[in-house]
Amino acid sequence: MSRPTASTSSAKDGQLRPTAAAAKAREPMNVLIVGVGGQGVIMVSKALASLAQSKGYQVKQSEVHGMAKRGGTVFSHVRFGPQVWSPTIPKGEADILVALEWAEGLRWLPFLKPDTGIFICDTKRIVPPFACLNRRPGAPLRYSRETPAEVRAQVAEAYAIDATRMAEELGNERAANVVLIGALSTALDFPAGDWEKSLAQFVPKKTIAVNLDAFRLGRSWIEEARTNPVVTEAPAAKAAALAHVPYSVRLEITPEWCKSCDICVKLCPERCLRLNAERIVELAQPEKCTGCRLCELLCPDFAIRVHLDSAVVAIAAAAQETKA
Amino acid sequence: MIVDSAAEFDVREYLRMEMMPHFLCPGCGHGIALRALLWAIHELGIDKDQLAVVSGIGCAGRLSAYIDANTFHVTHGRPLAYATGLALARPDLHVVVITGDGDCLAIGGNHLIHACRRNLKLTCLMLNNEVYGMTGGQVSPTTSESRLTTTTPLGNAEPNFDACALAAAAGASFVGREVTHHVPKLKELIRSGLAHPGFAFIEVLCDCTEIFGRKNELGSSAEMVLRQKSDLRPSAYRDSVDTPFRSNDLPTGILAKTDRPEYGAAYRKAAAAQRASKAAKASTGANKGKA
Repeated sequence: MSRPTASTSSAKDGQLRPTAAAAKAREPMNVLIVGVGGQGVIMVSKALASLAQSKGYQVKQSEVHGMAKRGGTVFSHVRFGPQVWSPTIPKGEADILVALEWAEGLRWLPFLKPDTGIFICDTKRIVPPFACLNRRPGAPLRYSRETPAEVRAQVAEAYAIDATRMAEELGNERAANVVLIGALSTALDFPAGDWEKSLAQFVPKKTIAVNLDAFRLGRSWIEEARTNPVVTEAPAAKAAALAHVPYSVRLEITPEWCKSCDICVKLCPERCLRLNAERIVELAQPEKCTGCRLCELLCPDFAIRVHLDSAVVAIAAAAQETKA
Repeated sequence: MIVDSAAEFDVREYLRMEMMPHFLCPGCGHGIALRALLWAIHELGIDKDQLAVVSGIGCAGRLSAYIDANTFHVTHGRPLAYATGLALARPDLHVVVITGDGDCLAIGGNHLIHACRRNLKLTCLMLNNEVYGMTGGQVSPTTSESRLTTTTPLGNAEPNFDACALAAAAGASFVGREVTHHVPKLKELIRSGLAHPGFAFIEVLCDCTEIFGRKNELGSSAEMVLRQKSDLRPSAYRDSVDTPFRSNDLPTGILAKTDRPEYGAAYRKAAAAQRASKAAKASTGANKGKA
């Protein structure tokens, strides 16, 4: 994938909006919408496609859904213009990439046009199960570590919005995709009123008001970001740093209380406990224990107590031991 | 961390250490329920001196002996009656009743329905293990149909009680049910029950492994705990997976919550009004006498 090394981090005044540019060249406008199943990727693409169709454009939309289900990767290609031939967007040809989830946005980044593409991304992180295969506390997540600033440096025009938090503040976290529609609407030439009409068709009737608020919020956020490029970053990186504070796990077992009922041994998700020769519980594989506390909570005899010592404490304890 | 408040909660702070280890059989669900109760008490920050635990007779009744608080181990089936008197006399205390299915529904069934009706501020924790464990495994009001016990060697033919439906019908203003497998959820339920300003009835589905489980060949303690999970699935799916532990579908969580006037407060209000009107009469009578 080739990305320009030097690029502008925000739009310049007087620069032609991509819609206008595409119309001039009589080429279709390519919008790629990606996210995690359940976030509302298809809804965004439907709203856009129906709006473009109502404006007399030829529209082709191609999506993956169903197989991805809730929690999987979902994408939707929307192409519209005077004449559209192929329903899918080739790599490096997307004018706009709208991502409802941070890692999904990075996954599809190579599809963006290197020199003029606009990247609009929610900074929400949905960590997939395979990114946390190592369940020990303190184990690093195998989730993308790029910060919004690093990504912005590689894309012609990039916006990292904490849309989920904005929607939450409006009272409905699920309106995050509509915040992004609001952001997307500023990159296209359709009037805001028509966007709102199109939206109202696709959101549940009870939530029209909150969704319209979300749309306007997303729109004003981008306008704010254009005039004032210094945008407050999402606190995602901070939260991630906190989650990585290492812990060491210590099991305190009261052997005289253990009645060998075997519940802890059989229910331990890591299978790291066993009954010893006297049929008393012991930690057989300390390195596997994640400190989930299931054994402590399910022990009817209060024989197990799990201590999670932060690394600092553990190091201090180790130093004490070596001194003694 | 997974359970934040679990880190600072040490159950041993709430136990009478000289009584431990407790007398319950290996794998008995009552121990797990006791932990959930103490955890909820810890989270609410209830002072041990302000906590009164009343329990009846049976395996569940014995639990009060292990709690380091004000505890009463009273007659069979009557913990709710004792607790009613205690809660009326000392409205400043948190009164918790620990009772078993036989204690609560058979011997003390009458007390239960009237406690529900009165709506006095009490928390009633009924540990349902479907059997009279302490006396050797006789059939109880909650034993599922066709289950084997020492008094139903051919399988129980009686229909069983849905204790929560009974309590709700009798007027309990808070009714909830949980299994011992989900300890944090059980703790949350007990916590909301303790915070409820009225009569809270909480049914905990416990495993009796040594007597009920053995008689009905329900497997080891661990298998019984794991079965609780499949137990809560929709019945059509559950029946295709494994034999249901309980014959009826049992929903969990908070099942009923109503906002009814609390009996203790209403009683004290009426008593104060009565005293005031008596005093007023006495003073007017005295004035008349003078005139």
